[in-house]
Amino acid sequence: MKPAPFDYLAPESLDAALEALARHGGDAKLLAGGQSLIPVMNFRLAQPAVLIDLNRLRELDQIRADDDGGLRIGAMTRQRTLERDPRIAERAPLLHEAVPFIAHPQIRNRGTLGGSLAHADPAAELPAVAVALRARLRLRRAGGERWVEARDFFAGLLTTALEPDEILVEVALPPPAPRSGWAFLEVARRHGDYAQVGLAAGVSLDDAGRCREARLVYLSVGDRPVEAREAARLLEGTTPSDETVAAAADKASQDEMDPTGDIHASADFKRHLARVLTKRVLRRAFARAKGEA
Amino acid sequence: METRPATGLIGAPAKRVEDQRLLTGRGRYVADLVLPGMLHAAFLRSPHAHARILGIDTTAARASAGVVAVVTGDDLRDHARPIRALSRMAGYAATDMPALASRKVRFAGEAVAAVVGESRYAAEDGLDRITVDYEPLEPVIDPRAAMAEGSPLLHDDTRTNVLLSREFSQGDVAAFAGSAVVVGDRFRFHRHAAVAIENRACLADYEPGTGALTLWTSTQVPGMIREALAELLGIPAHRVRVVAPDVGGGFGMKSALYPEEVAVSALARRLGRPVKWVGDRREDLLTSTQAWDEDVEAELGVNADGGIRALRAKVWADIGAYSVYPWTASIEVIQVVSFLPGPYRVPHYHGQAWGVATNKAPMGPYRGVGRPVSTFVMEALLDRAARHLGMDPAAIRLANLIRPHELPYRSPSGLVWDSGSFAESLERACEVVDYARLRAEQRRDVSARRRTGIGIASYVELTGVGSAIPASPGADIATGTEGATVRVDPAGTVTAAFGLACHGQGHETTLAQVVAQELGVELDAVRVIHGDTDAGPIGTGTYASRSAVIGGGAAILASWAVREKALRIAAHRLEADVRDLELSGGVAWVRGAPDRRLTLSQIARSAYAGAKRLPKGMEPGLEATRFYDPYIGTAANATHIAAVEVDLDLCAVALARYVVVEDCGRLINPMIVEGQAIGGVAQGLGAALLEEVVYGQGGQPLTGSLIDYLIPTAAEMPRVEVIHLERPSPSTLGGFKGVGEGGTIGAPAAIANAVADALAPLGIEITELPITPERLFRLLAARAEAPPSCT
Amino acid sequence: MTAHRVRVTVNERVYEREIEPRLLLSDFLRHELGLTGTHVGCEHGVCGACTVLVDGLAARSCLMLAVQANGAELVTVEGLMKDGQLHPLQQAFHEHHGLQCGFCTPGMLLTALDLLRTNPRPTEVEIRQGLSAVLCRCTGYQGIVKAVEAAAVALRSSR
Repeated sequence: MKPAPFDYLAPESLDAALEALARHGGDAKLLAGGQSLIPVMNFRLAQPAVLIDLNRLRELDQIRADDDGGLRIGAMTRQRTLERDPRIAERAPLLHEAVPFIAHPQIRNRGTLGGSLAHADPAAELPAVAVALRARLRLRRAGGERWVEARDFFAGLLTTALEPDEILVEVALPPPAPRSGWAFLEVARRHGDYAQVGLAAGVSLDDAGRCREARLVYLSVGDRPVEAREAARLLEGTTPSDETVAAAADKASQDEMDPTGDIHASADFKRHLARVLTKRVLRRAFARAKGEA
Repeated sequence: METRPATGLIGAPAKRVEDQRLLTGRGRYVADLVLPGMLHAAFLRSPHAHARILGIDTTAARASAGVVAVVTGDDLRDHARPIRALSRMAGYAATDMPALASRKVRFAGEAVAAVVGESRYAAEDGLDRITVDYEPLEPVIDPRAAMAEGSPLLHDDTRTNVLLSREFSQGDVAAFAGSAVVVGDRFRFHRHAAVAIENRACLADYEPGTGALTLWTSTQVPGMIREALAELLGIPAHRVRVVAPDVGGGFGMKSALYPEEVAVSALARRLGRPVKWVGDRREDLLTSTQAWDEDVEAELGVNADGGIRALRAKVWADIGAYSVYPWTASIEVIQVVSFLPGPYRVPHYHGQAWGVATNKAPMGPYRGVGRPVSTFVMEALLDRAARHLGMDPAAIRLANLIRPHELPYRSPSGLVWDSGSFAESLERACEVVDYARLRAEQRRDVSARRRTGIGIASYVELTGVGSAIPASPGADIATGTEGATVRVDPAGTVTAAFGLACHGQGHETTLAQVVAQELGVELDAVRVIHGDTDAGPIGTGTYASRSAVIGGGAAILASWAVREKALRIAAHRLEADVRDLELSGGVAWVRGAPDRRLTLSQIARSAYAGAKRLPKGMEPGLEATRFYDPYIGTAANATHIAAVEVDLDLCAVALARYVVVEDCGRLINPMIVEGQAIGGVAQGLGAALLEEVVYGQGGQPLTGSLIDYLIPTAAEMPRVEVIHLERPSPSTLGGFKGVGEGGTIGAPAAIANAVADALAPLGIEITELPITPERLFRLLAARAEAPPSCT
Repeated sequence: MTAHRVRVTVNERVYEREIEPRLLLSDFLRHELGLTGTHVGCEHGVCGACTVLVDGLAARSCLMLAVQANGAELVTVEGLMKDGQLHPLQQAFHEHHGLQCGFCTPGMLLTALDLLRTNPRPTEVEIRQGLSAVLCRCTGYQGIVKAVEAAAVALRSSR
């Protein structure tokens, strides 16, 4: 298991990286943390002609706290940093809660936010979290840029809205709503394994204690992060209770996902787990929104 | 047998002498070895489970940068005969396993061509440029279907896919008729991979001048590999040297001869340059021998008091594509039927076994061999019988366990238990877990969605098997003896050489403890060498829980011979009667006159100085080689108790408590015994809850990476409490019993019974391992009275 | 495919080599530098045997290209001993039978080192979860967990 040959470029600036990408386009792969790409190359399932290493782009490895309470996170920010930076814990607690579920410390020491999003593995944590947080993604190309909503970014299995000449450079997270709660949970066969099912959820309450907004975004139950909007609608405008939570769990798991079975979990079992997780996650999220946890 | 005061080395938790090099990155595994001019091999492996090879085009590969040679099965056929495992067992059919497949592939992963390059990278580039024209054949996947008339055949010359059938019978199973309760079911124990963390690897060096071949290989059995290579390659055996350097785990999987070992040796001879192959994890998961994979129908009849009346079983084993050398296709399935009665009195028994070829990786010996399966089935049947009778699981076992006064006991399949602490180990295990309290807590703790369960498994295994029966019945190999050469050099330090090979067991420490104590020297005065056919006496290697018993016995005999000679020399030099001499700590002295003393170095110098310093007629030198044959071998036994918690919503099982009470006879090193027991439990836990080799409908492997094939991590393992019941074997020199495999034998059954115990109130039985969340989900979902509602 | 020049510091020693960009860091350490203590068990980032420290943090060397380590400071198992003395973690592994075949041991040691630097007072659960990144097939992990517990105490008292 050794990679096939390739040419290697390690640009020192984003502009140089964009230029290299413009030149090589579809023949090139971008190397971020490498924790997904390199194994695939070792298996020779990916054989890019050119590898453009983004690890020297310090400009993409920074976190900025916006005045509005939001965050701007560089795409090359390591998952280890997401786990530890106090600004993340304060302003994006859902992200903070989810990161330790990503594999193992060695992986998080190298793996990056942008790399995980751009890889778009439906079993990965960060894409689901990005959708749940209503993240906006900044995509740069030589001579231009655009912003894409996270929910529009994920286009299918390992497929995103990125054009061959674009680099995901930054992730913008809006500030948390008042009286909001969050929770992340996943079920894996072993500690650190890919999730069989996971759920990133955010809720907020109005002054009367009714659910103002709910976001339920699942991982590992489709070809991309799967948001259960109907289930969320069942919750919105009602006072959270075991009944509303159960109804949302049933709705999400039965009607809003179409999981594919694999050797570890059938589609039915995934739905079952999704239902169990929904209840556990929503209970925790609402408790947090109420300031109870 | 003479007796002498123990110096306490045998039985001491001595720290391992292996550790220093392994902890500092100075171990030497095959992949670490470098020879001048060394080339690297990579194998092209079939993507098809069953296909005819119509043609292989290697032209582009030969032209690939850094590629030195490309060979196919046709190229190698005249250089290496196919591997063929012979057996005297009736009802057995041998298969030819070529070094590289030619004409036909029989499992996905089988090697069809080899590329030799200047680096592994270059060799893999060459693989990408080979094209093979395959004609896919109908795959044979289900062993029971494969037995039927008209099934496609794997091997045309065997004329059947049934490579083995065997029957055991004692008494009359008509006795079932009088049973108060008969319980039975169909049990499935799925396919398992060994996953030694070091993948298989070998390095061959052929010296054309002398016609000598050296193969460094990650194996448990260098002696066996040497004999086989000499034969298959047509090289005189005395010109073949096989070395197992540091080996990163074996677990039985590295005890077979592999096609790569033959191919790499043949390539080195053909190319005149050293050739190294370092298998990668994908190759390991696709091609290393796999384990178990049995389908068992079994029934147990008991009296109203729980006493066993009769037992019967049919066992179908999926043995994969080839019968492996030297163990044959019988190794696993025969052990299932012969060990099924366990440590219990079973007056009437009938067992039938079939080993059936399929288009999967070959099945081979793996830690526990057969007994994890037999124990799972027997212990499950006992628990069911107990539930039917309203008896406690511990009580039904106590009613049936063979008692000391009944030993030696001949089991219904003909195995002899020379000794054992069967009931004692169960009683002790119950005491250690506080079984009564656990049961009481379980009755109190009946919260609906989390259930607790307690599982017991008692087993007995045959260890240190001598020449009475081969470690694999019928196989055409001698596995009953080992030798030791103990040599004292003029400096008074001791080298003890063995034909054994070590892959984590710590023989360099434990065998040194034996030699040091029996010879009478300090521990650090002894160096153990092993794993090199040039360095030790003829032997086979380490497998089947034999090395402490057989290697330890040989070490004792050789040490005694050297000691006796040293004492005679000392008596001569000190002008004393040999009966008045003591030897310990490397010094011989006259009892009562400690000033009259000689160090072992002084004695050895005399020994090598010759006749002038020696008693009249004594041969010079101070070394001895002795062989030991324990003949029948000895029984080792244990009881495992597992306490689990089952989350009915997540369909997950967690271990709350795990206790092992084991009797491996006289302990050489309790620290190492504990490590063996816990390591074995980890592999058994994997078998019970996590690990399963999965093949798709077309025979394609679906668990070709460690992302898909799941072995336990530290987070899944409970803390294991190990209690030693030290009851020395009456049959073996030193009183040792083997301990390498036991942990893996008890754990699947104990965990399965614990889960079954937790789910019994829901009417759920466990018949299939591993108990994955998916399987638990289906079991729970099938229970109308317990819909998978959740919280 | 052009050769690239890399300069890395491994165990406080500087090495410079011309290498193919596809060379994995694990192979670079083992074959170019002869530091064979770093073991390769899966080459897809699961077994953890190849774990080394890169700029002070544990990383799987099979999931990095050697060219990416240009300018980095690495620590491998060969660099743990100081002045002929075993590192407290190595010593604890020896005393608590934290290794059998020794193949996972280098990755286990460096993972444990990263764990104890990040969390000097880990609970048993934290140790087990922290070490779950490295697969051991021999020990059942118990000796390893005990060793890390003991080393945590030793390292705290040596500070």
